[in-house]
Amino acid sequence: MFRFQKEQKIANIAGVKIGGNPGELPTALAGTIFYEGHDIVEDANEGLFDRKIAEDLLNSQRASSDETGNPCLVHIFGDTEQALRNYIDFVSEITDSPFLIDSPDPLARMAAAEYVSEIGLGDRAVYNSINMTIGEKERKVLKDSDIDSSIVLGFNAMDSGFKGRMQLLESGTSSMDKGLIDIALECGMCNILIDPGITPMGNGSGVSLRITLAAKAKWGLPVGSGIHNAPSSWEWLRDKKKHDPLVFKMCDIASAVMQQAAAGNFVLYGPIENAPYIFPVAAMSDIMIYESAEEFEIEPASSHPFNRLV
Amino acid sequence: MYTVSEKWPVTKGDFSAGNPKSCIAVVTLASSMPLFEKAAIWGSCKTENLGAEKVVMNVVSNCNIRYILLCGSESRGHLAGQTLKALYENGIDEDGRILGSEGAIPFIENLEIETIERFRQQVELIDRTGLTDIEEIYSIVDNYHDSEKPFEASPISFKKAVRKYQPPESIGADILISEKVVMDAFSGFIYEIA
Repeated sequence: MFRFQKEQKIANIAGVKIGGNPGELPTALAGTIFYEGHDIVEDANEGLFDRKIAEDLLNSQRASSDETGNPCLVHIFGDTEQALRNYIDFVSEITDSPFLIDSPDPLARMAAAEYVSEIGLGDRAVYNSINMTIGEKERKVLKDSDIDSSIVLGFNAMDSGFKGRMQLLESGTSSMDKGLIDIALECGMCNILIDPGITPMGNGSGVSLRITLAAKAKWGLPVGSGIHNAPSSWEWLRDKKKHDPLVFKMCDIASAVMQQAAAGNFVLYGPIENAPYIFPVAAMSDIMIYESAEEFEIEPASSHPFNRLV
Repeated sequence: MYTVSEKWPVTKGDFSAGNPKSCIAVVTLASSMPLFEKAAIWGSCKTENLGAEKVVMNVVSNCNIRYILLCGSESRGHLAGQTLKALYENGIDEDGRILGSEGAIPFIENLEIETIERFRQQVELIDRTGLTDIEEIYSIVDNYHDSEKPFEASPISFKKAVRKYQPPESIGADILISEKVVMDAFSGFIYEIA
């Protein structure tokens, strides 16, 4: 549909390439495992879970990825340091995919960053995320770690509109000394993945799509999001789910297409159980997006769904 | 004198209205529990920013609400319960940061400090975070639902904030759509070039 004037950077995370102009690389897809409420988790504090089902889920995502050509990452969510350690040990043993380390608790996230460095997995880890609450301690931990890939979250809780989020990325808020992109660079991040931040429907859910375009135009960095969080927190849809769960699932999965059509390079698609559905949907979008950009002399990667599925 | 704003609850979320004349609102944090209609409003609050904001909006727009019962399981990481307690005890600073909150991104973006102060004056917080025994929760609601007169002020009304679009001073062409059609990513304009 379009191409950017600015050169588009491509992140390379343990062999998984993310970024570029629309149509160039297949959209990278990250499924979440051990998320809040995930029924395979037996003890969220200790990080105990059903290993057999978890292995099946990881293998299912891998199989979908192999089929369509969309690279996959594993989005590991954990509440505590201990839980994250267990999850990282398990995921890194089962799959060679890069993985995101995510926790709402910054101490657990930092401990996980130190842990992956200790066990030699820093190059496969993506820190999720460098955000507006980052302090000196977290900056130091990241700088001292071997992690060189991070999500940079543009959600600005003081001004969640387009300008506020772009400002957070570029120059920071009134209480910050610099913008998040500069902070990420200072922390040693070579692979910066911008996530504009998804807010609920009715609270500016679409802003992230405009920021995707603007951030790529301005910095040429890979951009994507967990866009499914918008429909999944939509009360009207949650009510529909009680009567027909398929309606909810369709909206949840289809939202990825919006991110792709707005030039997104990666999608954090939510529950990893959705892998068999999201990969075909994303592949379909990638093919159509490539065909819309063909005249820009865009060459699709050999692994692109266009080269595999049509 | 009106004690409840028109079209209350004024904001939607994972909660249901019961009896708007009731003195007590029930925040079940990360838990889901069946509505007890003696409560004015009843439902979850999982986030330390938008979730907390919605609680405040629905409280200050109904002067009958004089108590908030915090119960149910704490929302992990986000710590919405601890955040609501901090909001009640300490308020917010000029940047909107909820003072004393240990939640992940604890900011109030869309409400004025005065609204938060009004919230703190209007209600008393009953902190029973972790309580999931529905019978005990019903019993607390039963004790408080008609125990206080309305707060002596008008209910606060909210208008949907609309961000004003500021046309850009200059327009560039950073996205190419065709030979003669370009887009300026910042303004969102798509236009034809000569």
